[in-house]
Amino acid sequence: MEGLFLGLATGTACLAYCAPVLIPYLIGEGKGIRQNSLMLVVFLIGRLYGYLLFAVLAWLAGLLIGQGIIYRDLIFGGTYLVLALLLMIYGFSTSERYCPAKISSSLSEKFARLWPSLLPLVLGFFTGLNLCPPFFLAIAGAAKTGTLAGSLWFFLLFFFGTTLYFVPVPLLGIFRKFQQLKMVARLAAGTVGLYYAYIGVIMIFGGVKRL
Amino acid sequence: MSESLLEALDTKTQRRLTSTILLTLPMVLLTAFMYVGGGMPHGWRATVPMILTYVFVNVLFFQMLRTGRTDKYRAAFFITMAITFIISFMTNLIEMRGSLVLSAADMAKGETPFCHMVIPMTIIPAALTRTIIFPGRILGGFADVATMFTLWIGATLALGRGFCSWGCFYGGLDDGFSRLRKKPLIKKISERWTYLPYAVLVAIVLLSALTLSPTYCAWLCPYKAVTEFAAITSSTVVVQTILFYALFIGLVIVLPILTKKRTQCGLFCPFGAFQSFSNKINPFEIRINRDVCKDCQVCAQKCPTFSLDRNSIENGRTRLSCMKCGRCVDTCPKGAIAYHVKGTPLTFNSQRARLLFIYPAFLFLVVFGGGMIRDGIYRILLLISTGSMIR
Repeated sequence: MEGLFLGLATGTACLAYCAPVLIPYLIGEGKGIRQNSLMLVVFLIGRLYGYLLFAVLAWLAGLLIGQGIIYRDLIFGGTYLVLALLLMIYGFSTSERYCPAKISSSLSEKFARLWPSLLPLVLGFFTGLNLCPPFFLAIAGAAKTGTLAGSLWFFLLFFFGTTLYFVPVPLLGIFRKFQQLKMVARLAAGTVGLYYAYIGVIMIFGGVKRL
Repeated sequence: MSESLLEALDTKTQRRLTSTILLTLPMVLLTAFMYVGGGMPHGWRATVPMILTYVFVNVLFFQMLRTGRTDKYRAAFFITMAITFIISFMTNLIEMRGSLVLSAADMAKGETPFCHMVIPMTIIPAALTRTIIFPGRILGGFADVATMFTLWIGATLALGRGFCSWGCFYGGLDDGFSRLRKKPLIKKISERWTYLPYAVLVAIVLLSALTLSPTYCAWLCPYKAVTEFAAITSSTVVVQTILFYALFIGLVIVLPILTKKRTQCGLFCPFGAFQSFSNKINPFEIRINRDVCKDCQVCAQKCPTFSLDRNSIENGRTRLSCMKCGRCVDTCPKGAIAYHVKGTPLTFNSQRARLLFIYPAFLFLVVFGGGMIRDGIYRILLLISTGSMIR
């Protein structure tokens, strides 16, 4: 149960780390509370995948995260860059969404049709891979378990502990009537993306220097 | 017939002049009290700046009342304030800290001057952690947190976002550069970008809450280029410094010249976006008389802050971002735009609302900027007479 309590204790920090990505995204979509809840669930599933990947990494701690501090910066710098790229495309792209009336079987159009549903999952995944302070505690806790199953279970409970703090987030749907807010939120997502891009580049440079 | 008309005109002019003098008198007395209340300064280097500032302030106010034009005289003060602020701030900083470079030790000692730009970033962390996420002094010292908050609250209640045209000591820079060309080279800017300041606000508020540090000051403030800068100790600081200069050159110099708009204030500044909401509670606003308006769009073209567009003109109001500079009021060829006090009847021919606004606004400008102008002139005189701006 240590993972659950750690999640409950540090969940506000997790929310703070996810908020710059999640809040502009949800407001930018301009959906109601119910649809926001659905998107949040998809986001959280993505985040769960990120956490579980972390659990595996924590199990492999000696190889990748513990001794391999050289690679840590490269890996997390890379995830920051992917997250930044997604946010910037989402925030600054002026192209309209895929039009369902256009029927085409090409792979790219199928992808374009699926992309809006996939985006929160992907955002959740890469946000889940953010190296925030509670994560260091969780990695240490999971590494202590010594087994892959123990590590996965630790992170699963940690995920549930932190998720509690995300419950009020769908209420952002009450702002959906403000069309301007949608535009502001999308631009904000792009701006946050710029910040993450810089963090990613700095981490990668740091990692390369240590090689 | 024509003689009596001339006589009537003369009487009207005389009456107008008398009322202008009477209306200027309180400002003349208030500024006199403000400047010599603490006693006459010693030495010509201190006396001359005081006299020059006093005359400058009152001539501008008199002209503002006499001509009925607001923006021209406001801008003269506003731009002078921004230039002298930089001179005064830099020299004071060198005297206080010995350098413009902000070291980690200075931050640890809380010797970073607090400015109003930081205010939106401090609110969430202050609520969550009960700390001000800024390495400045809460009380006492140069530009402390408590003084800046008090001034900001006062200005917000009195002026709303008018603060950005009547109080901000940075705003005069892009205002000044936006006036250099007669005609703009870039005429069309997508409406989408006018929402960017709000997006930057959302981003920096969230990121400041996440990192518990003033993100805007660390990464995005263009005015770092002309105030203080962090000691270059790492590649991060190098990138930050490059960003400050790039933003300053782009948003404060180049784009204002090309667009004739205040691009830093209207397209980027998150404090301005935050301040926009205070227009909702501020009693003053700008209104357009739809019965007189000919939809010529001159006001929208001339508005330096992107606060007028076709929609807002149709509604007879400005957008939320209006900084109450008065440019639209001055330039409307039909005289269809006027200052208005909320809750009062729309009487577009009345000067009362304008007077009610420009009195506190100008007084705030005098209180906030008078000292800067005086010190700026003093430093220039010091440079001329001794070869150094530092005492």
